[in-house]
Amino acid sequence: MSLRGHHIATTAVVQTARFLVVRFGRILCALPSQGVRGVLTPAEAGTGSQITFVGITYQDIDLASRLGVTLDPANPDMRVVLYTNGQTNGAMRVEAVIGMIEVERGECRPLPSHFQHEERTWISGTTMCKDELVLILTPEWVLGELGEVVAASTGPRSLSAS
Amino acid sequence: MLRAAQKQDQAVSAKRAWNVVVFSVGGKKLAARTEDVGGVAAWVDPLPVPSRTPFVTAMLKRDKDVMPVYDLGGRLSRHPEGDTLLCLVARHVDGPMAICIDGVIPSLHNVDVAHILPSKRLDLETLGSFSDEGQDIEIVALQRLGRNRQDHVGS
Repeated sequence: MSLRGHHIATTAVVQTARFLVVRFGRILCALPSQGVRGVLTPAEAGTGSQITFVGITYQDIDLASRLGVTLDPANPDMRVVLYTNGQTNGAMRVEAVIGMIEVERGECRPLPSHFQHEERTWISGTTMCKDELVLILTPEWVLGELGEVVAASTGPRSLSAS
Repeated sequence: MLRAAQKQDQAVSAKRAWNVVVFSVGGKKLAARTEDVGGVAAWVDPLPVPSRTPFVTAMLKRDKDVMPVYDLGGRLSRHPEGDTLLCLVARHVDGPMAICIDGVIPSLHNVDVAHILPSKRLDLETLGSFSDEGQDIEIVALQRLGRNRQDHVGS
């Protein structure tokens, strides 16, 4: 309390990051929220190779196959996420949208240095969502600007578990 | 004086023997120096990660730690065996790393350095091998796993 009886408020500046968390099979991915332009149902998105939404055209992106996941078209939770980095616009089908999360920067960890190859440019790090590990994807890789295609492989037991 | 000499003898004998953890992957017995092992716990399903780093294609969460998974079974072309697999935490130079091993509880062994032979295999980072019950057991260099180098006994 100050001399005049006012409370002195101190505001701690905590840097946060916002992500849209989506699911591909057992893989949870976080997309930086600033690039999200919309989430549509498959019926709203249609079946073409591109989607026009609010006057902007989004090219179809098969992120699921790059993650080694086959999506079930009959899955009622499937959504189409419209995403952009300002240069490239993409529409990606995801198994489910988990939701938007806001985490402190300190809760975003870099990819462990054991990962030594191109994946370091694909994945900027990890964070947690509902106590589950989430991969933070780089928008450029998501949008196919890096020209890299690889399928995620699975560990010894994960094959049988998926 | 006597006590000092005893301590010296103990130090010398300690250098003459290695404490190793013997575990198995797909039925193949392997060993690691105890100081290279961070612990053993129940295996949990890892999160697959798109990766081009050989045998590092997943991560898992253990308590508050997130660590990469090294697919030692894949490297040895073996599948870990057992109803409940185990997770061996390797103290790798780049940080802790999880390895899926068979469900058989690892055992501790004390191996005389004189019985440790330089490894002949070049496809796995090892510190040497020793024989136990007629079976050759490679001592995996967990600290350097994935770095594809060979060291010899002597340190």
